Amino acid sequence: MATPENLTRVDDATAGAAVAQFPAVAARPRVTRQTRKNETRNRVIKAARELFDTQGYQGTTIRDIARQAGVSVGSVFTTFASKGDVLSQVMQDRLDGLYAELDRVMPHLRGATLERLQTMFAIHFAFEVRHTRLFLAHIAAAYDWTLPSTAQPMGANPRLQAIIRDCLAKGVSEGDVEGSIEFQETIDLLMAAYAWVYRLAARDDADAPTMTEVMDRQIALIATGFKPRE
Amino acid sequence: MKAPTRRALAKQQTRAKVLAAARRLFSEQGYEGATIRDIAAAAGMSTGAVFANFADKSDLFREIMMTDMVALAEAMREAASHGDDVDEAILRAFMAGYLFYQTQLPLARAAFSVGWSTQDGPALRGAAQARSLRDLIADQLTRATERGELGSDSQGALRADMLFDAYLSNYPQAIFESWTLDDLRARARDQIDILLAGVRRK
Repeated sequence: MATPENLTRVDDATAGAAVAQFPAVAARPRVTRQTRKNETRNRVIKAARELFDTQGYQGTTIRDIARQAGVSVGSVFTTFASKGDVLSQVMQDRLDGLYAELDRVMPHLRGATLERLQTMFAIHFAFEVRHTRLFLAHIAAAYDWTLPSTAQPMGANPRLQAIIRDCLAKGVSEGDVEGSIEFQETIDLLMAAYAWVYRLAARDDADAPTMTEVMDRQIALIATGFKPRE
Repeated sequence: MKAPTRRALAKQQTRAKVLAAARRLFSEQGYEGATIRDIAAAAGMSTGAVFANFADKSDLFREIMMTDMVALAEAMREAASHGDDVDEAILRAFMAGYLFYQTQLPLARAAFSVGWSTQDGPALRGAAQARSLRDLIADQLTRATERGELGSDSQGALRADMLFDAYLSNYPQAIFESWTLDDLRARARDQIDILLAGVRRK
Protein backbone atom coordinates (compact mmCIF):
# COMPACT_ATOMS: atom_id res chain seq x y z
CA MET A 1 0.00 0.00 0.00
CA ALA A 2 1.50 3.35 -0.99
CA THR A 3 0.85 5.92 1.70
CA PRO A 4 2.01 9.54 1.79
CA GLU A 5 4.55 8.53 4.45
CA ASN A 6 6.05 5.94 2.16
CA LEU A 7 6.46 8.49 -0.61
CA THR A 8 8.26 10.96 1.60
CA ARG A 9 10.22 8.29 3.39
CA VAL A 10 13.85 9.23 3.77
CA ASP A 11 16.66 6.80 4.44
CA ASP A 12 20.25 6.50 3.33
CA ALA A 13 19.37 5.31 -0.12
CA THR A 14 16.52 7.67 -0.88
CA ALA A 15 17.62 10.83 0.92
CA GLY A 16 18.98 12.26 -2.30
CA ALA A 17 15.97 11.19 -4.31
CA ALA A 18 13.50 12.73 -1.89
CA VAL A 19 15.26 16.07 -2.03
CA ALA A 20 15.69 15.82 -5.78
CA GLN A 21 12.02 15.31 -6.45
CA PHE A 22 11.07 18.36 -4.46
CA PRO A 23 11.87 21.15 -6.97
CA ALA A 24 9.18 19.79 -9.27
CA VAL A 25 6.46 20.59 -6.73
CA ALA A 26 6.86 24.19 -5.66
CA ALA A 27 7.76 27.57 -7.17
CA ARG A 28 11.41 28.42 -7.44
CA PRO A 29 12.30 30.86 -4.61
CA ARG A 30 10.50 28.72 -2.04
CA VAL A 31 12.11 25.59 -3.40
CA THR A 32 15.58 26.72 -2.43
CA ARG A 33 14.63 27.46 1.13
CA GLN A 34 12.50 24.36 1.38
CA THR A 35 15.27 22.24 -0.13
CA ARG A 36 17.82 23.63 2.27
CA LYS A 37 15.50 22.96 5.17
CA ASN A 38 14.98 19.43 3.95
CA GLU A 39 18.71 18.90 3.60
CA THR A 40 19.29 20.08 7.16
CA ARG A 41 16.53 17.82 8.37
CA ASN A 42 17.98 14.80 6.59
CA ARG A 43 21.47 15.49 7.87
CA VAL A 44 20.23 15.89 11.42
CA ILE A 45 18.22 12.65 11.20
CA LYS A 46 21.18 10.74 9.80
CA ALA A 47 23.61 12.11 12.41
CA ALA A 48 21.15 11.46 15.24
CA ARG A 49 20.53 7.92 14.06
CA GLU A 50 24.25 7.17 14.12
CA LEU A 51 24.80 8.77 17.51
CA PHE A 52 21.75 7.20 19.23
CA ASP A 53 22.90 3.89 17.82
CA THR A 54 26.46 4.15 19.12
CA GLN A 55 26.18 6.17 22.35
CA GLY A 56 22.52 5.71 23.22
CA TYR A 57 19.76 8.27 23.59
CA GLN A 58 20.73 9.59 27.01
CA GLY A 59 24.39 9.79 26.05
CA THR A 60 23.70 12.00 23.03
CA THR A 61 23.14 15.75 23.25
CA ILE A 62 21.64 18.11 20.67
CA ARG A 63 25.11 19.69 20.44
CA ASP A 64 26.64 16.31 19.52
CA ILE A 65 23.99 15.87 16.84
CA ALA A 66 24.58 19.35 15.40
CA ARG A 67 28.35 18.81 15.30
CA GLN A 68 28.03 15.42 13.61
CA ALA A 69 25.54 16.81 11.08
CA GLY A 70 27.74 19.82 10.39
CA VAL A 71 24.96 22.28 11.18
CA SER A 72 24.44 24.83 13.95
CA VAL A 73 22.59 23.99 17.17
CA GLY A 74 20.14 26.73 16.23
CA SER A 75 19.20 25.11 12.95
CA VAL A 76 18.55 21.79 14.70
CA PHE A 77 16.07 23.62 16.89
CA THR A 78 14.35 25.36 13.98
CA THR A 79 13.48 21.90 12.63
CA PHE A 80 12.91 19.94 15.85
CA ALA A 81 11.48 21.06 19.17
CA SER A 82 13.58 18.69 21.27
CA LYS A 83 15.85 15.66 21.31
CA GLY A 84 12.77 13.53 21.90
CA ASP A 85 11.32 14.87 18.64
CA VAL A 86 14.49 13.96 16.77
CA LEU A 87 14.39 10.40 18.13
CA SER A 88 10.73 10.14 17.26
CA GLN A 89 11.43 11.22 13.68
CA VAL A 90 14.45 8.92 13.35
CA MET A 91 12.29 5.97 14.36
CA GLN A 92 9.40 7.08 12.18
CA ASP A 93 11.62 7.19 9.11
CA ARG A 94 13.13 3.78 9.86
CA LEU A 95 9.80 2.17 10.60
CA ASP A 96 8.23 3.57 7.42
CA GLY A 97 10.86 1.58 5.55
CA LEU A 98 10.09 -1.55 7.53
CA TYR A 99 6.34 -1.22 7.01
CA ALA A 100 6.72 -0.57 3.31
CA GLU A 101 8.59 -3.88 3.15
CA LEU A 102 5.94 -5.67 5.23
CA ASP A 103 3.17 -4.23 3.05
CA ARG A 104 4.90 -5.81 0.06
CA VAL A 105 5.53 -9.17 1.73
CA MET A 106 2.50 -9.88 3.92
CA PRO A 107 -0.12 -10.36 1.16
CA HIS A 108 2.03 -13.09 -0.39
CA LEU A 109 2.60 -15.10 2.77
CA ARG A 110 1.04 -18.55 2.77
CA GLY A 111 0.69 -21.11 5.51
CA ALA A 112 -0.84 -21.23 8.95
CA THR A 113 -1.37 -18.09 11.04
CA LEU A 114 1.40 -19.20 13.38
CA GLU A 115 3.91 -19.36 10.53
CA ARG A 116 2.79 -16.06 9.06
CA LEU A 117 3.22 -14.35 12.42
CA GLN A 118 6.64 -15.93 12.84
CA THR A 119 7.76 -14.73 9.43
CA MET A 120 6.44 -11.25 10.09
CA PHE A 121 8.41 -10.91 13.33
CA ALA A 122 11.50 -12.49 11.78
CA ILE A 123 11.42 -9.67 9.22
CA HIS A 124 11.34 -7.20 12.11
CA PHE A 125 14.39 -8.69 13.78
CA ALA A 126 16.34 -8.91 10.55
CA PHE A 127 15.53 -5.27 9.94
CA GLU A 128 16.34 -3.97 13.43
CA VAL A 129 19.13 -6.19 14.65
CA ARG A 130 21.99 -3.98 13.53
CA HIS A 131 20.37 -1.11 15.37
CA THR A 132 19.30 -2.65 18.65
CA ARG A 133 20.70 0.22 20.70
CA LEU A 134 18.54 2.57 18.72
CA PHE A 135 15.53 0.36 19.26
CA LEU A 136 16.23 0.11 22.98
CA ALA A 137 16.58 3.89 23.11
CA HIS A 138 13.16 4.11 21.54
CA ILE A 139 11.60 1.84 24.14
CA ALA A 140 13.37 3.56 27.05
CA ALA A 141 12.39 7.00 25.74
CA ALA A 142 8.73 6.05 25.89
CA TYR A 143 9.08 6.25 29.68
CA ASP A 144 11.23 9.37 29.63
CA TRP A 145 9.91 12.59 31.14
CA THR A 146 11.64 14.64 28.44
CA LEU A 147 9.78 12.96 25.58
CA PRO A 148 7.31 15.34 23.90
CA SER A 149 3.66 14.39 23.93
CA THR A 150 3.68 14.33 20.12
CA ALA A 151 6.19 11.48 20.10
CA GLN A 152 4.89 7.99 19.54
CA PRO A 153 5.74 5.58 22.32
CA MET A 154 7.00 2.31 20.97
CA GLY A 155 4.23 0.17 22.46
CA ALA A 156 1.41 2.12 20.85
CA ASN A 157 2.58 1.56 17.28
CA PRO A 158 -0.69 1.37 15.32
CA ARG A 159 0.81 -0.06 12.11
CA LEU A 160 2.26 -3.12 13.80
CA GLN A 161 -1.02 -3.63 15.67
CA ALA A 162 -2.95 -3.43 12.40
CA ILE A 163 -0.65 -5.95 10.70
CA ILE A 164 -1.09 -8.44 13.56
CA ARG A 165 -4.85 -7.86 13.57
CA ASP A 166 -5.05 -8.59 9.81
CA CYS A 167 -3.00 -11.71 10.30
CA LEU A 168 -5.33 -12.98 13.03
CA ALA A 169 -8.47 -12.03 11.10
CA LYS A 170 -7.23 -13.99 8.11
CA GLY A 171 -6.64 -16.93 10.45
CA VAL A 172 -10.22 -16.72 11.73
CA SER A 173 -11.57 -16.76 8.16
CA GLU A 174 -9.32 -19.67 7.27
CA GLY A 175 -10.31 -21.58 10.39
CA ASP A 176 -7.02 -21.89 12.27
CA VAL A 177 -7.77 -19.11 14.75
CA GLU A 178 -10.61 -19.33 17.28
CA GLY A 179 -13.32 -16.90 16.23
CA SER A 180 -14.14 -15.76 19.74
CA ILE A 181 -10.62 -14.76 20.82
CA GLU A 182 -9.95 -11.32 22.20
CA PHE A 183 -7.96 -9.70 19.40
CA GLN A 184 -6.56 -6.85 21.47
CA GLU A 185 -5.32 -9.13 24.27
CA THR A 186 -3.62 -11.40 21.77
CA ILE A 187 -2.06 -8.45 19.94
CA ASP A 188 -0.80 -7.02 23.21
CA LEU A 189 0.78 -10.32 24.21
CA LEU A 190 2.57 -10.57 20.88
CA MET A 191 3.74 -6.97 21.10
CA ALA A 192 4.96 -7.52 24.66
CA ALA A 193 6.85 -10.63 23.60
CA TYR A 194 8.36 -8.73 20.70
CA ALA A 195 9.61 -5.85 22.82
CA TRP A 196 10.93 -8.07 25.56
CA VAL A 197 12.94 -10.24 23.21
CA TYR A 198 15.13 -7.17 22.82
CA ARG A 199 16.35 -7.83 26.34
CA LEU A 200 18.38 -10.61 24.78
CA ALA A 201 20.04 -8.09 22.54
CA ALA A 202 20.72 -5.77 25.43
CA ARG A 203 22.02 -8.43 27.77
CA ASP A 204 23.68 -11.07 25.60
CA ASP A 205 24.26 -9.16 22.38
CA ALA A 206 21.97 -11.71 20.70
CA ASP A 207 21.85 -11.80 16.90
CA ALA A 208 18.75 -11.87 14.70
CA PRO A 209 18.53 -15.69 14.40
CA THR A 210 18.71 -16.08 18.20
CA MET A 211 16.04 -13.45 18.78
CA THR A 212 13.88 -14.97 16.05
CA GLU A 213 14.18 -18.43 17.59
CA VAL A 214 13.06 -17.20 21.01
CA MET A 215 10.26 -15.18 19.45
CA ASP A 216 9.13 -18.22 17.44
CA ARG A 217 8.70 -20.19 20.65
CA GLN A 218 6.79 -17.35 22.26
CA ILE A 219 4.47 -17.00 19.27
CA ALA A 220 3.89 -20.77 19.27
CA LEU A 221 2.97 -20.62 22.93
CA ILE A 222 0.52 -17.77 22.35
CA ALA A 223 -0.86 -19.61 19.31
CA THR A 224 -1.94 -22.55 21.47
CA GLY A 225 -4.14 -19.98 23.21
CA PHE A 226 -5.90 -18.98 19.97
CA LYS A 227 -6.32 -22.47 18.47
CA PRO A 228 -9.93 -23.17 17.49
CA ARG A 229 -11.78 -24.88 20.33
CA GLU A 230 -14.01 -27.84 19.61
CA MET B 1 27.26 -8.28 68.51
CA LYS B 2 28.30 -4.77 69.35
CA ALA B 3 25.55 -2.23 69.84
CA PRO B 4 25.57 0.31 67.00
CA THR B 5 27.53 3.39 67.90
CA ARG B 6 25.92 6.78 67.85
CA ARG B 7 27.91 7.49 64.73
CA ALA B 8 26.51 4.44 62.95
CA LEU B 9 22.98 5.43 63.93
CA ALA B 10 23.50 8.93 62.58
CA LYS B 11 24.77 7.49 59.34
CA GLN B 12 21.72 5.27 59.07
CA GLN B 13 19.44 8.24 59.59
CA THR B 14 21.26 10.21 56.91
CA ARG B 15 20.86 7.34 54.45
CA ALA B 16 17.15 7.09 55.23
CA LYS B 17 16.71 10.83 54.71
CA VAL B 18 18.53 10.77 51.39
CA LEU B 19 16.52 7.76 50.20
CA ALA B 20 13.22 9.40 51.12
CA ALA B 21 14.16 12.59 49.28
CA ALA B 22 15.41 10.63 46.27
CA ARG B 23 12.22 8.59 46.11
CA ARG B 24 10.17 11.76 46.03
CA LEU B 25 12.29 13.46 43.36
CA PHE B 26 12.51 10.40 41.10
CA SER B 27 8.71 10.26 41.30
CA GLU B 28 8.31 13.93 40.51
CA GLN B 29 10.98 14.43 37.87
CA GLY B 30 11.89 11.00 36.59
CA TYR B 31 15.27 9.38 36.73
CA GLU B 32 16.95 11.69 34.24
CA GLY B 33 15.32 14.82 35.62
CA ALA B 34 16.39 14.36 39.23
CA THR B 35 19.97 15.42 40.02
CA ILE B 36 22.09 14.58 43.05
CA ARG B 37 22.13 18.30 43.86
CA ASP B 38 18.31 18.45 43.93
CA ILE B 39 18.20 15.32 46.06
CA ALA B 40 20.75 16.71 48.52
CA ALA B 41 18.85 19.99 48.76
CA ALA B 42 15.55 18.18 49.32
CA ALA B 43 17.16 16.10 52.07
CA GLY B 44 18.58 19.26 53.60
CA MET B 45 22.22 18.28 53.28
CA SER B 46 25.28 18.84 51.13
CA THR B 47 26.02 16.88 47.97
CA GLY B 48 29.17 15.73 49.78
CA ALA B 49 27.04 14.11 52.47
CA VAL B 50 25.02 12.29 49.79
CA PHE B 51 28.14 11.03 48.08
CA ALA B 52 29.52 9.83 51.40
CA ASN B 53 26.62 7.36 51.45
CA PHE B 54 25.99 6.54 47.80
CA ALA B 55 28.39 6.15 44.90
CA ASP B 56 26.19 7.93 42.37
CA LYS B 57 22.62 8.45 41.24
CA SER B 58 22.23 4.97 39.81
CA ASP B 59 23.41 3.50 43.13
CA LEU B 60 20.73 5.52 44.89
CA PHE B 61 18.03 4.44 42.47
CA ARG B 62 19.08 0.81 42.65
CA GLU B 63 18.84 0.86 46.44
CA ILE B 64 15.26 2.16 46.26
CA MET B 65 14.33 -0.46 43.67
CA MET B 66 15.86 -3.34 45.62
CA THR B 67 14.02 -2.36 48.80
CA ASP B 68 10.76 -2.15 46.87
CA MET B 69 11.26 -5.42 45.05
CA VAL B 70 11.77 -7.34 48.29
CA ALA B 71 8.51 -5.89 49.66
CA LEU B 72 6.80 -6.48 46.32
CA ALA B 73 7.87 -10.14 46.14
CA GLU B 74 6.52 -10.64 49.64
CA ALA B 75 3.17 -9.04 48.73
CA MET B 76 2.85 -11.02 45.49
CA ARG B 77 3.70 -14.31 47.12
CA GLU B 78 1.23 -13.70 49.92
CA ALA B 79 -1.52 -12.75 47.43
CA ALA B 80 -0.85 -15.82 45.28
CA SER B 81 -1.29 -18.12 48.30
CA HIS B 82 -4.97 -17.09 48.47
CA GLY B 83 -5.79 -18.17 44.94
CA ASP B 84 -7.96 -21.27 44.58
CA ASP B 85 -6.49 -22.33 41.25
CA VAL B 86 -3.42 -21.45 39.24
CA ASP B 87 -5.19 -18.75 37.18
CA GLU B 88 -6.45 -17.08 40.30
CA ALA B 89 -3.13 -17.38 42.13
CA ILE B 90 -1.22 -15.71 39.29
CA LEU B 91 -3.90 -13.08 38.82
CA ARG B 92 -3.79 -12.25 42.53
CA ALA B 93 -0.01 -11.95 42.40
CA PHE B 94 -0.28 -9.54 39.47
CA MET B 95 -2.94 -7.50 41.23
CA ALA B 96 -0.77 -7.23 44.35
CA GLY B 97 1.90 -5.75 42.09
CA TYR B 98 -0.43 -3.24 40.46
CA LEU B 99 -1.78 -2.27 43.86
CA PHE B 100 1.76 -1.81 45.19
CA TYR B 101 2.61 0.69 42.47
CA GLN B 102 -0.82 2.27 42.16
CA THR B 103 0.15 5.18 44.37
CA GLN B 104 3.65 5.47 42.97
CA LEU B 105 3.25 5.04 39.22
CA PRO B 106 5.80 7.76 38.40
CA LEU B 107 8.41 5.68 40.21
CA ALA B 108 7.38 2.63 38.20
CA ARG B 109 7.77 4.75 35.09
CA ALA B 110 11.29 5.74 36.15
CA ALA B 111 12.05 2.07 36.79
CA PHE B 112 11.01 1.12 33.25
CA SER B 113 13.06 3.97 31.84
CA VAL B 114 16.15 2.79 33.72
CA GLY B 115 15.38 -0.88 33.06
CA TRP B 116 15.45 -0.34 29.31
CA SER B 117 18.56 1.82 29.30
CA THR B 118 21.62 0.05 27.96
CA GLN B 119 23.72 1.49 30.77
CA ASP B 120 21.89 0.64 34.00
CA GLY B 121 19.23 -1.72 32.67
CA PRO B 122 21.05 -5.05 32.81
CA ALA B 123 22.12 -4.60 36.46
CA LEU B 124 18.58 -3.71 37.51
CA ARG B 125 16.85 -6.48 35.58
CA GLY B 126 19.47 -9.08 36.45
CA ALA B 127 19.36 -8.44 40.20
CA ALA B 128 18.46 -11.37 42.42
CA GLN B 129 15.49 -9.37 43.73
CA ALA B 130 14.13 -8.98 40.20
CA ARG B 131 14.64 -12.67 39.48
CA SER B 132 12.73 -13.62 42.62
CA LEU B 133 9.65 -11.88 41.17
CA ARG B 134 9.85 -14.04 38.05
CA ASP B 135 10.58 -17.12 40.15
CA LEU B 136 7.42 -16.76 42.18
CA ILE B 137 5.36 -17.03 38.99
CA ALA B 138 7.34 -20.12 37.97
CA ASP B 139 6.59 -21.59 41.43
CA GLN B 140 2.86 -21.23 40.82
CA LEU B 141 3.17 -23.22 37.59
CA THR B 142 5.24 -25.94 39.23
CA ARG B 143 2.75 -26.32 42.05
CA ALA B 144 -0.17 -26.45 39.64
CA THR B 145 1.56 -29.24 37.75
CA GLU B 146 2.15 -31.11 41.02
CA ARG B 147 -1.51 -30.70 41.93
CA GLY B 148 -2.40 -32.11 38.52
CA GLU B 149 -4.12 -28.91 37.50
CA LEU B 150 -1.70 -28.36 34.64
CA GLY B 151 -0.10 -31.03 32.46
CA SER B 152 3.65 -31.48 32.45
CA ASP B 153 5.14 -28.50 30.68
CA SER B 154 8.28 -28.61 28.56
CA GLN B 155 7.95 -24.85 28.12
CA GLY B 156 7.57 -24.05 31.81
CA ALA B 157 10.41 -21.56 32.08
CA LEU B 158 9.38 -19.71 28.95
CA ARG B 159 5.73 -19.70 30.03
CA ALA B 160 6.63 -18.22 33.42
CA ASP B 161 8.73 -15.54 31.73
CA MET B 162 5.93 -14.68 29.35
CA LEU B 163 3.41 -14.45 32.17
CA PHE B 164 5.70 -12.07 34.00
CA ASP B 165 6.25 -10.05 30.82
CA ALA B 166 2.49 -9.83 30.35
CA TYR B 167 2.28 -8.48 33.90
CA LEU B 168 4.87 -5.83 33.09
CA SER B 169 3.38 -5.02 29.70
CA ASN B 170 0.22 -3.63 31.31
CA TYR B 171 2.06 -0.90 33.21
CA PRO B 172 2.09 1.54 30.28
CA GLN B 173 -1.72 1.42 30.28
CA ALA B 174 -1.72 2.19 34.00
CA ILE B 175 0.93 4.89 33.65
CA PHE B 176 -0.19 6.65 30.48
CA GLU B 177 -3.85 5.77 30.09
CA SER B 178 -4.96 5.81 33.73
CA TRP B 179 -6.30 2.28 33.68
CA THR B 180 -7.99 1.30 36.94
CA LEU B 181 -7.24 -1.85 38.90
CA ASP B 182 -10.43 -3.38 37.46
CA ASP B 183 -9.28 -2.65 33.90
CA LEU B 184 -5.93 -4.23 34.66
CA ARG B 185 -7.58 -7.26 36.26
CA ALA B 186 -9.79 -7.90 33.24
CA ARG B 187 -6.83 -7.61 30.86
CA ALA B 188 -4.51 -9.75 32.98
CA ARG B 189 -7.15 -12.47 33.37
CA ASP B 190 -7.44 -12.84 29.57
CA GLN B 191 -3.66 -12.82 29.15
CA ILE B 192 -3.21 -15.56 31.73
CA ASP B 193 -5.99 -17.56 30.07
CA ILE B 194 -4.24 -17.39 26.68
CA LEU B 195 -0.80 -18.19 28.08
CA LEU B 196 -2.00 -21.21 30.07
CA ALA B 197 -4.20 -22.63 27.30
CA GLY B 198 -1.54 -24.97 25.93
CA VAL B 199 -0.82 -26.69 29.22
CA ARG B 200 -4.24 -27.17 30.78
CA ARG B 201 -5.44 -30.68 31.57
CA LYS B 202 -8.23 -31.45 29.18
